[in-house]
Amino acid sequence: MSELTISRRGLLAGSALLLASTALPTIGLAQTPKKGGRLVLAADSEPRNLNPAIVASNGVFFISSKIVETLAEASFDGKDGLQPRLALSWDGAADGLSVTFKLRDGVKWHDRKPFTSADVAFSALQIWKPLQNLGRTVFKDLEAVDTPDELTAIFKFAKPTPFQLIRNALPALSSVVPKHLYEVGKIEDNPANNAPVGTGPFKFAEYKAGQYYRLTRNDAYWGKDEPYLDEIVYQVLPDRTSAAAALEAEEIQLAAFSAVPLADLDRISKVPGLKVITKGYEGLTYQLVVEINHRRKELADLKVRQAIAHAIDKDFVVKTIFLGYAATATGPVPKNDPQFYTADVETYPFDVAKANALLDEAGYKRTDDGKRFSLKLLPAPYFNETKQFGDYLRQALAAIGIEAEIVNNDAAAHIKAIYTDHAFDLAVGPPVFRGDPAISTTILVQSGIPDGVPFSNQGGYKNAELDALIAKASETLDTSARTDLYKEFQKKVAADLPLINVAEWSFISVARDTVGNIANNPRWAVSNWADTYLAG
Amino acid sequence: MNRLRRFFHTPEAIAGASILALLIVMALVAPLLFSGDPQAIAGPALLPPFQDWSLPLGTDRLGRDVLAELFHGARTSLAVGLAAAAAALFIGALVGTLAGFAGGLIDEMLMRVTDAFQTVPSFLLALAFVSIVGPSLGAVVAAIALGAWTGPARVARAEVLSIRERDYVAGARVIGMHPLEIAFREVLPNALPPVLALSSVIVAAAILTEAALSFLGLGDPNRVTWGGMIAEGRAVLRSAPFLSVVPGIALVLTVLGVYLAGEGVVESTAVRRSLS
Repeated sequence: MSELTISRRGLLAGSALLLASTALPTIGLAQTPKKGGRLVLAADSEPRNLNPAIVASNGVFFISSKIVETLAEASFDGKDGLQPRLALSWDGAADGLSVTFKLRDGVKWHDRKPFTSADVAFSALQIWKPLQNLGRTVFKDLEAVDTPDELTAIFKFAKPTPFQLIRNALPALSSVVPKHLYEVGKIEDNPANNAPVGTGPFKFAEYKAGQYYRLTRNDAYWGKDEPYLDEIVYQVLPDRTSAAAALEAEEIQLAAFSAVPLADLDRISKVPGLKVITKGYEGLTYQLVVEINHRRKELADLKVRQAIAHAIDKDFVVKTIFLGYAATATGPVPKNDPQFYTADVETYPFDVAKANALLDEAGYKRTDDGKRFSLKLLPAPYFNETKQFGDYLRQALAAIGIEAEIVNNDAAAHIKAIYTDHAFDLAVGPPVFRGDPAISTTILVQSGIPDGVPFSNQGGYKNAELDALIAKASETLDTSARTDLYKEFQKKVAADLPLINVAEWSFISVARDTVGNIANNPRWAVSNWADTYLAG
Repeated sequence: MNRLRRFFHTPEAIAGASILALLIVMALVAPLLFSGDPQAIAGPALLPPFQDWSLPLGTDRLGRDVLAELFHGARTSLAVGLAAAAAALFIGALVGTLAGFAGGLIDEMLMRVTDAFQTVPSFLLALAFVSIVGPSLGAVVAAIALGAWTGPARVARAEVLSIRERDYVAGARVIGMHPLEIAFREVLPNALPPVLALSSVIVAAAILTEAALSFLGLGDPNRVTWGGMIAEGRAVLRSAPFLSVVPGIALVLTVLGVYLAGEGVVESTAVRRSLS
């Protein structure tokens, strides 16, 4: 008997050694990136305009950030959360009137022309400032860009502009496009908007509508040995359920931006060869927000807004709608923001009794059928989660006697209904926090924004105190003073509830084990993927 | 009585009628059995069926009671199916009678309009209509009726064409009845039976169209619909297939029931006709 045990043990040890010896080379391979290969991934939308300098949105970046590069990219451990791309260094003057960029030497456009400071000056003055959705606010005081030599660009501002804001804006707002292709004709109609030319690690190869986008390796890329991949193919899979099936069938190797539904993650994480990655989106936080039309007399009453905030069970939303892949929100800056977030704000714990009491106090008593008043609720159609939250909110409001009628629209009609026609009482929106409240957050509560500007305050909310605070912060140069002002901003928003922040979430990637260097920066899905590789 | 007995003679008719009866009972008792909002959150999310007997068919992604939704969904499906079919039959009979009885230019005009509607696929028509008007129960009914009235119009016209040559119609003319009165009081009632025979097909198609519209997110979002339930369940098809399967089965059974019962009616009238 004992002999047998020993021999069995020996056999086991031997086979384990054998296994280890075969496993070793693959482990080694996974650590040093391998060159070559084609990465096929799921794309769920097909942007027509691929120029990230004009349309600074994640849908466009997802594809074109590999082709057109920015001055700097977000980083987990770099100084100020940045790592150099086309700019090697950036330096703000003490008076806030200029920022000097030193540019990378030896960078070539995909058509072999050299990249110079003239391209940066052109992009900033002709595109970012007048045309870009986000640049219009951040670069509004940009007056001139001086180019003393080919590798220096000095941004001159008419009014003091906080350097912190410019820094935080670099990863998303500073895509540089070639001047020599854009200086002739109208910028909006330039053919390079549909077939972008940049300095990035990949070149645009082709686009077949409804089928795929294909990018090929840029052999003349400035990064040493980069990029590792030969090709990137974005397979258009508009149906969310098909991405999971395509991953399992090994038709695609990566599904970013939560292309796999949250409800499927638990199952798919158990599939051998696939991994679920929650990192790599820290710089792209979406906020689940209840937008409020303050023109409705009931909603103009703070007590009613407080009652609605108390009626929402944020933990339920995170647990049931986002299946735990989200965090509850306290205010207009997400908890994961390292610079501005403060927890020291008014909170509204889930308390139906208190919500009912507040509504009674406000003078909206329940009528005989148990209802106080009714509302029109427009959930944004962009995400499953915003639609589901709309269904939940309807129930949460019913519990406090407010009857909500859901109105579903497609994306275009939804934007028109809310931001142009103001035909809503409550809406569910997913604004994005982009690393600095001045980029796309203060606009959500600031007054005086013309009709039709999407993702801005179109609820008719007006608070002179808050407006003054926003104006003051936008011209405060000292980083810590500016940060303090935005902490004050969060307090005021949480206290007066121009909108209700419910949760904040980001995306999930699912990839095959062979895809390497995933999620190595806070905006990974929309970064340039020069170091991404395929092992085996 | 005789007719009823004949109707229940065929096994299809019995099966169809019992399914329909069950459905109608479901629709009627829904507000009694599941009072309150069927979309209210009743328990933990994604509870599988047959685990908790207070929620026999489990719960959906938000924790809503699937059985309550199924019952209330039956109301929507039946209401839309019947309303759309009634509207389609009404418009169709009206247009068909006018065209057949008037003849000449009016006939040509009305029939060309019918042609025009018939050449557009009815589902596309419904889709376009709802996207413009906006999703609500009334819009869905109108959209479905808009694509379904052409069949009854054609059948009614054909019947009217043969009836208007009968002696009693000539008699009515002679005693000086108004042509419209003749058309709708003398001719239409006699032309109606074959038109009504189409109703089962139209109801079945209307229920399916309503489900398809809801599946595409164009149903009334404030009501439970089977199509909407299937669409909701689709996101979790792999982990909680029952959310799509349960309303799917209900839909199949309903359409089958309506169709079988319709067949039974047609057969029993056919027997009557051949007997007479």
